[in-house]
Amino acid sequence: MGFEYDNFLDSLHYAVYYLPITAKLAFAALVIGIIIGLIVAIIRYYRIPVLSQLLSVLITVYQGIPTMVALLLYNLLFSFLIGGVVEGLGLNVEVRDVSNIVVGYIALSLFAITSISETFRGAILSIDKIQFEAGYSIGLTKLQTLYRIIIPQIIPTAIPGLINNMVGIIKGTSLVSAIGIMEVMNASIIPCSRTYSFVEGYVAAALVYWAFTLVLETIAKGIEKKTKGFRKQLG
Amino acid sequence: MNDVFSIERFLGVIPKLIPYIGISIKIVLYGLVVGSILGIIVAVLRIKRIPVINQILSVYISFMRGTSMLVQLMLIYYGLPVFLKSLFGIDINSWDKMLFVYMTFILNEGAFLGELFRAAIESVPVDQTEAGYSVGLTGPQTFIHIVLPQAVKTAIPGYGVDIIGMFHNTSIAFTLGVVDLVGRAKTLGTASGHELEAYAFVALIYIVISILLRLLFYVLDKKYSFGREGVKS
Repeated sequence: MGFEYDNFLDSLHYAVYYLPITAKLAFAALVIGIIIGLIVAIIRYYRIPVLSQLLSVLITVYQGIPTMVALLLYNLLFSFLIGGVVEGLGLNVEVRDVSNIVVGYIALSLFAITSISETFRGAILSIDKIQFEAGYSIGLTKLQTLYRIIIPQIIPTAIPGLINNMVGIIKGTSLVSAIGIMEVMNASIIPCSRTYSFVEGYVAAALVYWAFTLVLETIAKGIEKKTKGFRKQLG
Repeated sequence: MNDVFSIERFLGVIPKLIPYIGISIKIVLYGLVVGSILGIIVAVLRIKRIPVINQILSVYISFMRGTSMLVQLMLIYYGLPVFLKSLFGIDINSWDKMLFVYMTFILNEGAFLGELFRAAIESVPVDQTEAGYSVGLTGPQTFIHIVLPQAVKTAIPGYGVDIIGMFHNTSIAFTLGVVDLVGRAKTLGTASGHELEAYAFVALIYIVISILLRLLFYVLDKKYSFGREGVKS
């Protein structure tokens, strides 16, 4: 036993090769989370009857489930339902050929929606009521006010929270390895199964995740700086 | 759907799973108590800005923030024995898996709580420290009697979020083969061929405990929100 540098390089190679899959999982969840999370936050801000209460209960409950447990649960449901779905749609594929990466996308997106909607809700609440009234007073409709006045101001306020959410989602993608999806975490230990020494693989995986998070964080901080001007404080 | 999920089986798994909540709680307690001590040390060292140590700590915090707990758990479980063996010749391969889980949680919490405490301590205005000095208190006295009580109040909501996150993270311990809630649910499922009921109950336990923790910290935050208005000059 010891740290084999060559095996480490092998693992690093595999980890980087599978990084696009992790990135795809993370970005899909982030984009879905931002779009639906914003809609959820707006529904809850305007207190649209029934829908708003329903969403707040659902989000509170869903935030209580760890992503890992959600993944295992969905994976199980997936294995029960996939046969029926394939048959129902009349697809000409073998059931065992259907990848369960869908489960990863669904679980991560739901996680992203719940966490991002809370970030946006906080950001909307931080905007002064005057801003809405100013929009209405110059004849903008509700939607126009949202789109032209409120959302541009939400962005800079929400970005620090969104960065945290994004880091959380990237970390969440590593859990997907537990249901057997080939991504950075699982790929990096492929060479290890030859030598039965797993340190090199996990060091490689850790470095790839770390670098990936740091790069994205730097980009997001750049965006934060650029969007700061959207929200001017009156003296 | 009837053979997929049955109420009888669901009720049947409850007594088999309940005792394993203790394992998750034990992990959280270790992470919380030892992690908080480590966190305070990290926070104080970071505030003092001791050259070298400060840089090492910021790398440590960045690593803990930038990688998932699963990666850290695997790294400690597989890496630490190799590291200790090749450097000091100590063999820890026979250690209990739970020890590695505790260690991961403690190290992870040390970083997160360290940042939380640092932010809380730095949020106390400097005037408070100066006021302490002006009435003749020493440095440590000022810190313990003036700064710390105010910092603790600021840290409460963050602490709550952190504990709930840590409780959720206990669900990854089964990947090492530790028999906790999820691990037990898995073995129950394999034994009976019906996993759904066990997993559903595990999810329910996590939901209930998370909501209870949130309520607890909501009440605590309300209770300790006095004196936050600030002094008017």
